[in-house]
Amino acid sequence: MVDFLQTPFLWVVVTIGLYAVAYWGYGKWIDRNVWRSNAKKTTPAHMYMDGVEYFPVSRYVLWGYQFKSVAALGPILGPFIGVTYGWLPALLWIIGGNFFIGWLQDYGSMMLSVRKEGRSFGPITYEFTGARGRTNLLAFVLFYLVIISAAFIALIATFWNSFKGTTFVPTVGILLAGLLCGQLLYRVKMNVFAVTAIGLALVALSLYLGPIFRVVLPWGSWNVAVWAGVCVLILYLAAVLPTPTFIQPTNYLAFYPAYAAILLILVGALLTPFTLGSSPPVAIQLDMGPFLNDPQGILGPIWPILFVAIACGAISGWHSLVSSSSSAKQLDIETDALPVGGGAMLSEGLLALASLIAYMVLTKTFVFGVAGDPTNPAHGNIASWPVGAALLVSRILGVSATDVLLTTFFGLVLVIYALTVQALVTRFFRLVAAETWSEGRFRVFGNKHVATVVGLGVPWAFAVSGSWWALWLYFGGANQLLAGLAIMLITIHLAKMRAPTKFSLIPGVFMVVTTLAALAWQIYTFANSAIQYLGNVQYPFGANHDPSQWVLTNVRPPINVKDYVWLALGINGVFVLVGLILFLVGLSMAIRLFQSYRSSMTEARARAPTAADGGTREK
Amino acid sequence: MPETKEAATPKSRGRRVKDAAKGVLYGMAAHGHVTAALRTRMYLEHLFMFITLGDMLGVPVIPPYYSLKILPYAVPNIKSWKQRVFRERDFTDQVF
Repeated sequence: MVDFLQTPFLWVVVTIGLYAVAYWGYGKWIDRNVWRSNAKKTTPAHMYMDGVEYFPVSRYVLWGYQFKSVAALGPILGPFIGVTYGWLPALLWIIGGNFFIGWLQDYGSMMLSVRKEGRSFGPITYEFTGARGRTNLLAFVLFYLVIISAAFIALIATFWNSFKGTTFVPTVGILLAGLLCGQLLYRVKMNVFAVTAIGLALVALSLYLGPIFRVVLPWGSWNVAVWAGVCVLILYLAAVLPTPTFIQPTNYLAFYPAYAAILLILVGALLTPFTLGSSPPVAIQLDMGPFLNDPQGILGPIWPILFVAIACGAISGWHSLVSSSSSAKQLDIETDALPVGGGAMLSEGLLALASLIAYMVLTKTFVFGVAGDPTNPAHGNIASWPVGAALLVSRILGVSATDVLLTTFFGLVLVIYALTVQALVTRFFRLVAAETWSEGRFRVFGNKHVATVVGLGVPWAFAVSGSWWALWLYFGGANQLLAGLAIMLITIHLAKMRAPTKFSLIPGVFMVVTTLAALAWQIYTFANSAIQYLGNVQYPFGANHDPSQWVLTNVRPPINVKDYVWLALGINGVFVLVGLILFLVGLSMAIRLFQSYRSSMTEARARAPTAADGGTREK
Repeated sequence: MPETKEAATPKSRGRRVKDAAKGVLYGMAAHGHVTAALRTRMYLEHLFMFITLGDMLGVPVIPPYYSLKILPYAVPNIKSWKQRVFRERDFTDQVF
């Protein structure tokens, strides 16, 4: 008999079971008793129907849209940092974070927007915290977008530089197929099914050609910087060209391989009890943990780092923007908010779980390597996820786990997830820049091309200089802080309506405190590295105890050599500055929200009891 | 036929599942693109309405002669245009 306890099967079943309780138990209870959603109440989709932004959409369509909008690279790569502390803490955070906070934020943001006539977070922040609060949010979002862009550009460049150069040709293939499909769809007016078939055939062809026409750059440690430049050029085109020409058809085509990969991994993980006997075994091999500190001495303590490293999949601030920006305007009835907002978030948790399992089935030696042993290098997240995913999936497809097409496919999935999301982020940055600098002395920054160049140039500089984990943790910190702030907005609304607030207040406070602590830790890490280096203190980790390692560890190749130590020191300084700005803007926003919450509670106590929907509380 | 009777048969339940699956696939693959296309059309319509009715709002764009000729085509859209153009907009509305 197969010992299924050795496989990830049990954890998949446990997680699905707990998510079911979160949805049908806790979720339904919150929906009925806190928000008191009412199917008969007119939603903004009906109230302001204009057939463009406001119109009722079936819950199934909206669920698909919401899931697609929120599920991207976050739940795939976040668990990689999480497993540094052992897979168990990462799993517990994916389960617990989503159970108590994640779905609550997505669902609450949607309900808040519905109850506020379909308004998004900008106007709601203005209402609750005043003009300064909204400006604060604007500044925070701008920095947040720069950090996301830096993290994603760094990752895309590293992906292209990895997998022996097999992923670049398929990426270009998808982009060209997307351009062609856009023309066929909008110019030739060809049937959408025929266009999809042509597009997918081209995607399959480019995937096949990837391993044949490998693109390997000859510049050694400068390769990633060059790849990042190529990525920036593509993103520039994506941001300035009309969406139907580039982003829209490309994202449409990219959807199919990306979601096929998720489905395959989940099925592969569920079938592990039946594939355990095969060789190599698909069993849990990574350390369970928990480790209270990063054993490699880079990341820091489990709290708060783990809670910002795994963002999407447990909780993510980006989702609150999506929920309030578009989905809430198309919600047919109020009771659809739970399946659409909460359901999509819990489903994203399953994606994070699938990714975590892809890491869990690999050996510790493969993932983290052996210090000082060049024959056993660390493979990092870049190689680990595709290899783990290929291992899970190979059994059900009946192919070898080392099949080059399979690893190229999963490598390509990573690239397209990052590229499609980043194209939208760059475009959003351009629009936010236009809003911020449309008038006044700096109006040149509102220009379409200038804003795009700034929105890509600054992240490029960060991407080629900072370590990806440093960027990821700043991204996670900013993202989770946004989530905390969104939950506080939800709590303020509930307080104003005299509905129970503790179910959102406690998660809100936890998220704000945790993420501010994570940002503070990051600032401390960079500042301390610089101070230790300047004080000529020996570096305590690794074989080389050279003091310059303090600052070189925090930057990426080719800058992480002794010749560039002063540049590395400068980059450490810049990261301290970025962290400080994020921390202070976030702190200022949090203080405003807590003040608003306090005054809302005081006001609400003075009024007659009502409920979240504005009606009379039922006995 | 009343919907409740139809819903009770296994066939209609199967159809509902099929419709739900189609809805999810459409939502994931195309809904965002469809709404983006609708939004692009909306901005073009704004432009059209300003050009045709601008002079009546005090914006001297094209002579009233042409405005009046186009007016019958523009009238059915005036209500929804007014609703859209006067709606409060924010940068957080533009995420997708």
